[in-house]
Amino acid sequence: MATALDTVKDYTEAEYKYGFVTPVEEDRFPPGLDEDVVRRLSAKKGEPDWLTEWRVAALRRFFAMEIPDWQKVRFHPIDFQAISYYAAPRQKERPRSLDEIDPEIRRTYDKLGIPIREQEVLAGVAVDYVFDSVSVATTFKRKLEELGVVFCSMSEAVREHGELVRRYLGSVVPPGDNIFAALNSAVFSDGSFVYVPKGVRCPMELSTYFRINAAGTGQFERTLIVADEGSYVSYLEGCTAPMRDENQLHAAVVELVALDDAEIKYSTVQNWYPGDKEGRGGIYNFVTKRGACRGKRSKISWTQVETGSAITWKYPSCILQGDDSVGEFYSVAVTNNRQQADTGTKMIHIGKRTRSRIVSKGISAGHSDNTYRGLVRILRSAEGARNHTQCDSMLIGDRCGAHTVPYIEVKNRTAQCEHEATTSKISEDQLFYCRQRGISEEDAVALIVNGFCREVMNELPMEFAVEAKKLLGISLEGSVG
Amino acid sequence: MSVAANRRRVDPDPAFARAFEEAASRLPGARFPELATARERAIARFVELGIPTQRDEAWKFTPVARLVNRPHAVRPPSEPPLERVLPHLLGGPKARRLVFVNGVLQPQWSHVGGLPERASIESLARVLETRPTAVLEELAEPDQGRSFTALNAALTDCGAWIELSPGTELADPVQLLFLTVAGASAPMSHPRIVLRLGAGARLALIESHVGLEPGPALTNLVFGARLQEGATLAHDRLLFQAAEAAFVGRAEVHLGGASRYEQTTLALGGALLRSESEVSIEGGEVECRLCGLAVPREGEHVDTFVRVHHRAPASHSDQLFKSVVEERGHHAFAGKIFVHPGAQRTNAYQKNENLLLAEDGEVDVKPELEIYADDVKCSHGATCSELDPSALFYLRARGLDAATARGLLTWAFAAELLGRLADPSARAAARRALAARLPAGAPADEEAAA
Repeated sequence: MATALDTVKDYTEAEYKYGFVTPVEEDRFPPGLDEDVVRRLSAKKGEPDWLTEWRVAALRRFFAMEIPDWQKVRFHPIDFQAISYYAAPRQKERPRSLDEIDPEIRRTYDKLGIPIREQEVLAGVAVDYVFDSVSVATTFKRKLEELGVVFCSMSEAVREHGELVRRYLGSVVPPGDNIFAALNSAVFSDGSFVYVPKGVRCPMELSTYFRINAAGTGQFERTLIVADEGSYVSYLEGCTAPMRDENQLHAAVVELVALDDAEIKYSTVQNWYPGDKEGRGGIYNFVTKRGACRGKRSKISWTQVETGSAITWKYPSCILQGDDSVGEFYSVAVTNNRQQADTGTKMIHIGKRTRSRIVSKGISAGHSDNTYRGLVRILRSAEGARNHTQCDSMLIGDRCGAHTVPYIEVKNRTAQCEHEATTSKISEDQLFYCRQRGISEEDAVALIVNGFCREVMNELPMEFAVEAKKLLGISLEGSVG
Repeated sequence: MSVAANRRRVDPDPAFARAFEEAASRLPGARFPELATARERAIARFVELGIPTQRDEAWKFTPVARLVNRPHAVRPPSEPPLERVLPHLLGGPKARRLVFVNGVLQPQWSHVGGLPERASIESLARVLETRPTAVLEELAEPDQGRSFTALNAALTDCGAWIELSPGTELADPVQLLFLTVAGASAPMSHPRIVLRLGAGARLALIESHVGLEPGPALTNLVFGARLQEGATLAHDRLLFQAAEAAFVGRAEVHLGGASRYEQTTLALGGALLRSESEVSIEGGEVECRLCGLAVPREGEHVDTFVRVHHRAPASHSDQLFKSVVEERGHHAFAGKIFVHPGAQRTNAYQKNENLLLAEDGEVDVKPELEIYADDVKCSHGATCSELDPSALFYLRARGLDAATARGLLTWAFAAELLGRLADPSARAAARRALAARLPAGAPADEEAAA
């Protein structure tokens, strides 16, 4: 047994591979946050007045809010005045072709195993590269433009598609939603914008790759995806950061809007720097992600594999407004050493016959704490709503914690809700069964852990599954051999 | 205290402090200065803590202040006729029993005679008069910010103190019957039950809270039990409050190694029934079973709040809570299994099933696991839905009319919990109360059998 656990530990304790720093020249604001900083940031990006005022209003709300105390995760107070709210690799202007990108940045992505050019050609995935809050490259743009799909950085979207952005920005996650959403609304520097027009099935996966490089900064990107009637888009997100002793804040906001018959599939492989074994450093990943199924028969599906960050605190959610709309949430969260995770989802059933499915798998090791927190709310109007929730936790070692905190609120009798949760360690019976059939202990553990997460891993798009394997310091699939 | 924390409490109605001042001198044990001081401290603490609002996580689903925060009278006299009390005397002809009306002991209906030498059953009022220091120790237990516990400490005047020495077994059950006669006076009572079971002792306890007349009333109970090695406690709880009455009860149970505790709560009536149970498993080989049924209707609100702490390895806990929610009923269930570090080889299960029968009913569920040991088996399941249409169809296809079919299925769902009550007379009383609540009543043949 000890060997088997050691094997898992070897992988969960594997050193972080993406902890290098890229020496690029950068353009940044001194630390501090006030209205002036926000106005300067907005001016620097050449934003229209409505957006500047929207940011300032959000900042005022931010100053009036406090960090809540209901969460399981514990962290030192964040000094919001010590953060620099704008850091960007210095370049004269946005490169027109991929060849013009700063070679240092290109080398960074090469080191991460996702060479910008190779990615484009081999994988056929359109990628937006965000380096310290600023989008540095977007691939496959022309091909997408032919279909009318807009895929660009948020800054560009504000310039080129101002009306669309204005209509949807903050409509799913309002600036006053929570303190980190308010902060993000005030200081977001860039992010991705996607618009898929009516009836278009986006032919390739769209992807954003986030990298925090500069010290003393945070990352505050904003993603907005709008899928018009009858359209489909699959979106992938990956991220890494250098190893530092300080805690860096990542407070992003992701908003999804699906109109009639539209479908959005959003996948995340989160591998921010988790801190060292004693819990020094690492990213605070405090992200607000929410999707609105506004249209009839629309569908939003979240898949997340959370392995990084010192603290992960987020609840990708679905507001099921349109009749017959569907929300899905698939999650694997792995915590190790001193990592903390408090993650889950919210499914708000408003429309008739809305359906939601939640599958959450938590694996805790070392001294870590892993919490699933979720809400299923069925309003009186949600005739015939249906929910199934399953959250399973696996514990490796006796000093970690696994917690489940689901809320189920039902106001309609025709609704059907089911929730089940289990907690256990790797079954010795299953191990024995495998060993008896000649499978080595290492392979057996891999098999069982892989089986434990299979329902979620299956939901990852094929292209991403390959990338996920590279990006993840631990791959559950190949955790042995 | 931050602004956010402040909104979690509202100031209690000044009538509470006034009622305390007015009643303090006639509460049992008032002549002992230490006791009087402790009570004064407790009422000050209650006023300081305030009444929780729904911003307090433990009261998230329950607007307790709206139902409770109003003037109440302490110990208003009332003499209900015997024939109204008789149906609620449970436990068989040989049962020992303490009966209270609005917090006042009724000696004419109570008897605890013929006890073995090593057992004692006393009313709390008597212990307050004869052994005030023992009660002081109980009252000095930290309230951990629970304002109702502090209020109980200030005003407690009724209840029981039961001690069984090691190896003592009581063959017949003990019933504690708390009757509330609301009338015009809006009575409040603050019972406290203290239970000590020595190693290997056995007791069957029936705890009944019955409202005889509709009207505003408050029962604020604190129940504390300690079971030593190998002790057994069967604990049947019947909450049959009348309309408009509120019940706020907290049970704290400590279980020593190899002890056995079975609690079954039937919440069948009352504007607000909040029952908190916090069980601490402190030894190995413990068997702990908690069950409950709630059938709220017509604006009634039942809030079941359960915490099971596994603090020692190799114990077993099992929870089964059900509800049938009728028109305008509201059921909230928050149950948590807490496995502390080192409590390896714990088996802990929790099941919560809710039948939502009315369009304007509501069910809120929060089943929680908090686990700090790896070699454990813990699970919870929660469901909420209407009756299964295929089961209905099955019965209809066999010639049952819709109402009978629905009645039969609802009864079958709820009646499982009747079987969990340890005492046959408690089971019969609960069956009658349940049949009166469900629209189709009990199935005919079952009634004949009963």
